[in-house]
Amino acid sequence: MISRRDALQRLTLLLGGALSAQLTAGVLGQVINLGPSVLVSAAQQKLLTEVADTIIPTTDTPGSKAAGAEQFIIRVLRDCYVLEDQEAFYDGLSKLEDDSHRLHNQSFADLDAARRHEIVKQTAISNKAFFHNLRTLTVTGYFCSEIGATKALEYLPIPGRFEGDVPFKPGQKAWAL
Amino acid sequence: MANFNIDAKKELTYDAIVIGSGVSGGWAAKELTEKGLRVLMLERGKQLEHITGYENALKAPWELKYDGRLTTQQIESHPKLSRDYPYNEMTEKYWMNDSDSLYREKKRFDWFRPNIVGGKSIMWGRQSYRLSDIDFEANLRDGIAVDWPIRYADIAPWYSHAEKFAGISGEKLGLPQLPDGEFLPPMDMYYLEKEVRKRLEKSFPGRVMTIGRVANLSKAAEEQLGVGRGPCQFRNRCSWGCPFGAYFSTQSSTLPAAAKTGRLTLRPDSVVTEITFDNDTQRATGVRVRDAVTMQDREYFAKIIFVCASAISSTALLMHSTSDRFPNGMGNDSDQLGRNLMDHHFRTGASGRWEGGHDHYYYGRRANGIYIPRYRNIGDDKRDYLRGFGYQGGASRGNWQRSVAELSFGADLKDELTQPGEWTMGLGGFGETLPYSDNRMWLDKETKDKWGMPVVVFDAEIRDNEKKMRLDMANDAKEMLEAAGLKDVKTYDKGSFPGMAIHEMGTARMGRDPKTSVLNGHNQIHAVKNVFMTDGACMVSTSCVNPSLTYMALTARAADFAVEELKKHNL
Repeated sequence: MISRRDALQRLTLLLGGALSAQLTAGVLGQVINLGPSVLVSAAQQKLLTEVADTIIPTTDTPGSKAAGAEQFIIRVLRDCYVLEDQEAFYDGLSKLEDDSHRLHNQSFADLDAARRHEIVKQTAISNKAFFHNLRTLTVTGYFCSEIGATKALEYLPIPGRFEGDVPFKPGQKAWAL
Repeated sequence: MANFNIDAKKELTYDAIVIGSGVSGGWAAKELTEKGLRVLMLERGKQLEHITGYENALKAPWELKYDGRLTTQQIESHPKLSRDYPYNEMTEKYWMNDSDSLYREKKRFDWFRPNIVGGKSIMWGRQSYRLSDIDFEANLRDGIAVDWPIRYADIAPWYSHAEKFAGISGEKLGLPQLPDGEFLPPMDMYYLEKEVRKRLEKSFPGRVMTIGRVANLSKAAEEQLGVGRGPCQFRNRCSWGCPFGAYFSTQSSTLPAAAKTGRLTLRPDSVVTEITFDNDTQRATGVRVRDAVTMQDREYFAKIIFVCASAISSTALLMHSTSDRFPNGMGNDSDQLGRNLMDHHFRTGASGRWEGGHDHYYYGRRANGIYIPRYRNIGDDKRDYLRGFGYQGGASRGNWQRSVAELSFGADLKDELTQPGEWTMGLGGFGETLPYSDNRMWLDKETKDKWGMPVVVFDAEIRDNEKKMRLDMANDAKEMLEAAGLKDVKTYDKGSFPGMAIHEMGTARMGRDPKTSVLNGHNQIHAVKNVFMTDGACMVSTSCVNPSLTYMALTARAADFAVEELKKHNL
């Protein structure tokens, strides 16, 4: 019988000694923190909520804010993105807020819908990587939310049958996944 | 008290021991218990209760945390598993931690090891096809490796036996290269698949497109209702575990059948470290087991042993079962143990866009695709490589995950994504890999895992024959899709590393001659007659079809033989 530490040392050898300190801690069952994640302030969360709601606004169905898609975005950034990428995202968000102050002397959250749209449009051009990241996360968070899946789309928890060719009815919504 | 030791040994003695509880192990347990044997089934993974154990199975999209993504923590702690999609948010608890699953790669090998009762039968792709005599005769015809010791006629009744119980839905085609089976009704095709099928048959006589033959119950027959299974609900959540028991798994199918006999003992958390051997009788006597949690060692005894731990693990176990008689691993007189390591090669094909069909939609989520059986190197067709490939693929209509205009956002984007997108269709080849004696695995005795087992080293790769075949796999797909009327058809080749198809095979091959093979035509170790191996390790060639149905049939066949041999007192 070998100890966990022995096993770990062997694992380290197998990985060519490239095992990070954090991984070692994690494998040894200690609480691990893979580098400090970005702490999201209330102001940042509010800003993100409004920006995401500009990506997917309320139309004839509720938008991102109503669906709480920003919670998904914050969670995925915190848990699934390395710190560097988290920082790049929140930097992009700060720049967007700076643009709003510079152009309109107002926080993005206080702008009317038309000006919000203008700011996001500019950001889409000036900071493509951030915009695409933001859009992907918002779209995913929204269409995976209960509101997005059941109101904007149609969700079948248990379809019960499959038909490969049925007429698409006018006004019908796409299926949720 | 004088009999204490005898009584204790009696308690640890069974008629048969089955190592592993996946597709093969489950079938071995079912067949042997139903034939009257008391069976101990050992599984190194943890217990996974049918239905209640599938924690994510009934979750709605908004009940998942990350829409399937892995956390940075999971990626760091699973540097190998996280390289490909089977390890994801919904299935992560079913796989073994990389830190427990130590192995070394001379060349990249993706080894997907489950950590649960049921093994990969929980997460498997469920595509179920028969091999044909074109496959069983291939090595002999090509003068490659060794000849299969069986032919289609030997296994055909066992395919039927397996299909009737497992429940395979599909369409009969009457093709020599893909024999028909005992099918439940075929699943429906999408509108675009029906269109493509028509055009394909016109443009390419001899090539056929059919719906995938899949171990999902399009309709539950008596055999399945009898073990508590229900029909497929078309949720497309199979790999999360099915609370309806609608696809074949150990838990849904073979385990309840075996348990019903009252003769099955299942022990999870049981790492088999060695098969013990008696030099006087030249038979295996039982197994040594290390408890995965407490690390306590125990020994069990049986008249016969079925090794069904999956190709790599079964082979590693035999390699680790050394004795004076077998210094290089049990049954390894031929030095073939660990050689001829094969997996299907795939991840190449083509896809394209269909114009129109906007008024055609669908209902339900079909967990199945279409299948184009092999047509290369059959009949008069001759290519610059040996063997062939089949295609899996399918049509779909764009969903909210589709790509949109670069700058699109706001109400326009939302409106666009709440409507279905264009129809598209893709074909991906699954190719046969030849057996190469130096594509192999062995044990690194210097490095041991936490249960004290030496770690496996992999040294295998696809070679010229496979690389030539891949060109056809991509180009034929493009040609067929274009002929069928798809636009913007593009080929792709994402590269294929052994292990990625999770069809590991060949490391203890069957054969007629003990000098060149490990197992005989009944999956019996040539030199240790009471040990049978019926997982992927036994395969002599890979064919191009998904192999699990063949393991089911071979296991049932070997179990039948083993029980007959026991009755004749030959074991």
